[in-house]
Amino acid sequence: MTAYDILRSEWGKFRSIRATLGCLAGALVTTAAYGYLFGLSSARQYLAGSAADQAAFDPTETGFRALVLAGVLVSAVGVLAVTSEYASGTMRVSVAAVPRRSLLLGGKAAVVAVVALVAGPPMALVSFTLSQISLAARNVPSAGLGDPGVLAAVAGAGLFTGLVGLYGVALGFLLRRSAGAVSLGTFLLILPGMAALFPDAIAEWIVVWWPSAAGARVFAVHPGPDGLAPLAGIGVLAATVLALLCAAAAVFRTRDV
Amino acid sequence: MILRVLRPERAAGGSGAGHRRTAHRDLTDSLPEREDGWASLLHMIEIRGLTKRYGDVTAVDGLSFDVRPGVVTGFLGPNGAGKTSTMRMVLGLDRPTSGSATIGGRRYADMPTPLREVGALLDAHAVHPYRSAVNHLLTLARSNGIGRGRVEEVLGLVGLADVAGRRPAGFSLGMKQRLGIAAALLGDPGVVLLDEPVNGLDPEGIRWIRGLTRDLAAEGRTILLSSHLMSEMALTADHLVVVGRGRLLADTGLDAFVRSAARETVVVRTPGARRLATLLEEAGATVRHGAGDELLVTGMSSAAVGDVAGAHGVVLHELTPRRASLEEPYLELTGDSADFASAAARPAARSESEAGAATTTASMTTSGAAR
Repeated sequence: MTAYDILRSEWGKFRSIRATLGCLAGALVTTAAYGYLFGLSSARQYLAGSAADQAAFDPTETGFRALVLAGVLVSAVGVLAVTSEYASGTMRVSVAAVPRRSLLLGGKAAVVAVVALVAGPPMALVSFTLSQISLAARNVPSAGLGDPGVLAAVAGAGLFTGLVGLYGVALGFLLRRSAGAVSLGTFLLILPGMAALFPDAIAEWIVVWWPSAAGARVFAVHPGPDGLAPLAGIGVLAATVLALLCAAAAVFRTRDV
Repeated sequence: MILRVLRPERAAGGSGAGHRRTAHRDLTDSLPEREDGWASLLHMIEIRGLTKRYGDVTAVDGLSFDVRPGVVTGFLGPNGAGKTSTMRMVLGLDRPTSGSATIGGRRYADMPTPLREVGALLDAHAVHPYRSAVNHLLTLARSNGIGRGRVEEVLGLVGLADVAGRRPAGFSLGMKQRLGIAAALLGDPGVVLLDEPVNGLDPEGIRWIRGLTRDLAAEGRTILLSSHLMSEMALTADHLVVVGRGRLLADTGLDAFVRSAARETVVVRTPGARRLATLLEEAGATVRHGAGDELLVTGMSSAAVGDVAGAHGVVLHELTPRRASLEEPYLELTGDSADFASAAARPAARSESEAGAATTTASMTTSGAAR
């Protein structure tokens, strides 16, 4: 039993689950639709804004917001790759075939990570392009793919979605139930969007350090003095996901299947 | 223990050691080939003091038994007796609270490619509804380095070749059982565990399983087959391991079980019941008075009862030999341990076991009532 055998086996499983493929397709549609809508909304804000606001306008900022929403679906892909096995009872069959459970978890995680990593940049490309089109259509300043830092952000989207997919895998192993893991996963991912509900001190902390917010810094083409640097931000997300994966492996190794 | 392995109960011991299982070839080749099968050492399941508690519930309670190669071992017990928990621990899915379950001296979890050594069907429903039968088997095969050719082979073997590309969502339970058995046989394993494999099968399917398991055992494999139906085991198993409430109740050859069960009762109706009873007891039989002028005689054949009556001029109105079924000693054994015995059945079962082992007469009342 080699790692290659297990990867092939897990890839076969992944491919044959419709829900995960559906989620991936949904993520692409989300980035397209919301990329365009975020562009429209930014354009309205720009046109209604003061001269100072307009001078400070960064058209790239709106280009990747849809990726955080798509991340919800990408994390669901990771969750379902695991929980579908618990729901159908095949986890027992899988563990009987691969009793080295860390290897089994590693195989699943690797497949999800690679798929999500590859899916990220096209999503970013779609989102960015449509948002800039909707900006340009209203004669609002827009950015091009060739502008400095944009392609790096597009590539960084792969890191973001890859990590978010792994986050879903970890939650799937920890909670074992699709509904529970997807809803908790979604809630934790979009928590920074609700930061305003919290007292200021907590809200500021969430906006900077909450892993999904920190990870989204990878899309910052012009990172200002506020917030983490793109690589530091994605590093926070990566460390969190790694910790969750370790917890998932520890639980999966000791728990009865 | 080693002695027992060297003398398999049925002939086929190591017939296939040389040519059959490629997965073991490297191991078996290094061992001296013997008629009685050194290789079989690799395939014995040894369960020692196995205990599993789920919270307050003790599912398996200090079980110890061996499952030997070359025979079909029936793993018998009422629902909730701990059969499935035991099998899960053998497969390393559940962690024993204490004790051990090993196969050929090794833990399942330590096997590098377990599907090539042990095949198991635990739950036929454990298939992803939208993953086709062939893909289900392919994902399993790949993880253990088994080729696509073998997948097609086992699909043919279980009669699912025509529906290989279809999704199990549309399968009947019988088809899912066959798919589960295909998965169990994927690695051509020397040890096969099947949990309630005849559930949901039609009579033809049941006969197929019976033949398949007997063939697999004849090839020298170790077969553990669980069931809660004694009647099914009587037709398939060579050896019986009976459990109830997680404890071992019997570990015996089927023949011995049948012999113990086959005690005949003779029903006699006669106007001279009291006199005949005395005469029969003097002749060494055990007699119990039934309803009215009925006598229930054990320990004597119907012919001998007739002879005694004739010799003393006792008029007989009925003389009927009645053979106990295999279910009776099984129910007697497990009656007290059935988790979900009906309220009506339980007191009867209790009184039987309280009366002791040699209560053929008591079990007659049960069977009489059942008829």
